[in-house]
Amino acid sequence: MKPVKFGTFLFTMLVGLIFQLYPWSDTGVIIRPDFLLVIMIYWVLQAPYHCNIGWVWFAGLLVDLSTGSLLGQHALTFAITAFLGLIYQRRLVLFNRWQLYLYVIFLFGVQRGLILLLKLFAGGELPDWTYSLPVVSDLILWQFMIIWFGELTRPKKL
Amino acid sequence: MLKGIHQQLDPQESPAFFIQGPKPFSRLMFFCTLSLVMMAVDARFDYLSQVRQWFSTALHPLEVLASAPNEWGRNINTYFTSHNQLIQDNFKLKQQSLIDNAALQRLATVDAENAHLRTLLAGDAPIIPQATLGEVLHMGRDPFSNIITLNRGSRHHITPGQAVVDEQGVVGQITRVYTFTSEVTLITDKKLSIPIQIERNQLRAIAFGEGKRNTLDIPYLPTSVDIKVGDKLVTSGIDGVYPAGLAVAVVTQIKQSQDSPFAKIISRPIAGVNNHKHVLILKVPESPAIQSSENKPVLPRNNAQHLDQSVVEVLQKNNAAVDPHPATETPVLDSPSTEPGAAATPGASPDTTTPAAPEHP
Repeated sequence: MKPVKFGTFLFTMLVGLIFQLYPWSDTGVIIRPDFLLVIMIYWVLQAPYHCNIGWVWFAGLLVDLSTGSLLGQHALTFAITAFLGLIYQRRLVLFNRWQLYLYVIFLFGVQRGLILLLKLFAGGELPDWTYSLPVVSDLILWQFMIIWFGELTRPKKL
Repeated sequence: MLKGIHQQLDPQESPAFFIQGPKPFSRLMFFCTLSLVMMAVDARFDYLSQVRQWFSTALHPLEVLASAPNEWGRNINTYFTSHNQLIQDNFKLKQQSLIDNAALQRLATVDAENAHLRTLLAGDAPIIPQATLGEVLHMGRDPFSNIITLNRGSRHHITPGQAVVDEQGVVGQITRVYTFTSEVTLITDKKLSIPIQIERNQLRAIAFGEGKRNTLDIPYLPTSVDIKVGDKLVTSGIDGVYPAGLAVAVVTQIKQSQDSPFAKIISRPIAGVNNHKHVLILKVPESPAIQSSENKPVLPRNNAQHLDQSVVEVLQKNNAAVDPHPATETPVLDSPSTEPGAAATPGASPDTTTPAAPEHP
């Protein structure tokens, strides 16, 4: 498989940002996936030569700016999530579909948990169970990313 | 064939020491530190608001692009509103206008009378705030905060601290202003407090938002307080931010417990805090109480903090206007060092007041 073009990566990031900025209604906000997170995690695993932790961190910063939340909190959680993906990247590309789903759900869960932790530290209140719903929609978006840009590239057999 | 072999290699498979750059862990440490520093700076200081402004201005075209489908949907919906519906609406509006006009005729007379009476008493003229019409762009993207975004910003001379109302009552307060948009913190947000008055008996209190539950809480009122379910709460106007008399909430529940000397009073906002399209952004009234405290930063919870001082200033001004022999010493709240007797009886000699002051430890 050919290496991914840098332009493709930037373009998906832009599209993710536009979806992030879309004015979601009440229920939309509850079930909306974290577009930029899913897209960035996909590229971290698919094309680590383009998308390093710095880019993911930058995407988190964009989310911070678009939500108007404390500057740096999404950036921090995005960077940690990307790191957890990146250290196992060589192994993850060898996983089968279901193992990969499990690990990706773990990553999305970690990100939401970290955000929750930061918000609670800042004096927020505990949200109800619907807070964890976006993990499911994240997974659906992840499947779309797999359909559009292909399965994770395995290294060639020698 | 052999010439191009290095180009066919996946970059992923080339030796690690050529492409990797810094190790992921050191990168992570760097960016974690950076974001922690940013969070601290953003929470404690005001340096990053300018950065936020620039970014938000840069993101504005994307924001317009993102909300375009929604806009089209609404336009199409408006276009296909049925003929019947329009006739009904027109009829209803005409009736309403008839009723309103009849009420307005009385209002003009009463207004003139009120202004006359106020000049007789040498009081302030009533403040009629100017307003800007704003449109709600979207509810907050962050499920944790009660924030809505309006399509008016510093371009349209919006400043932080302005009150936002709809046709029924108070919606919230502007807390952050960008170039083209501004953020409104709703009165139900935990960080916002609003000075209120019970319409029935003019009892003053402060209402605090309760966050997710979309209700207001009025703490620190004793269990014996004269308040009933169904009482209407209006703004008292003594903070200098919200003009007096705007509807805020209706009391829905009063709980009295044996353990607490305070009643738990819960009220529901009257304004459609979560569902409206157009709102009015009121200019902060130019009262003397505000002019003196203008250089103070306006924070979401400024009402409660500056309330005491503004009350003192307004009282001073009224006293000066009414009392022909004003007190020489101005009363200051929160300063036990000044003698209470000296301000109250300016004519009395110091010999009589000094022994009365409590000197004992």
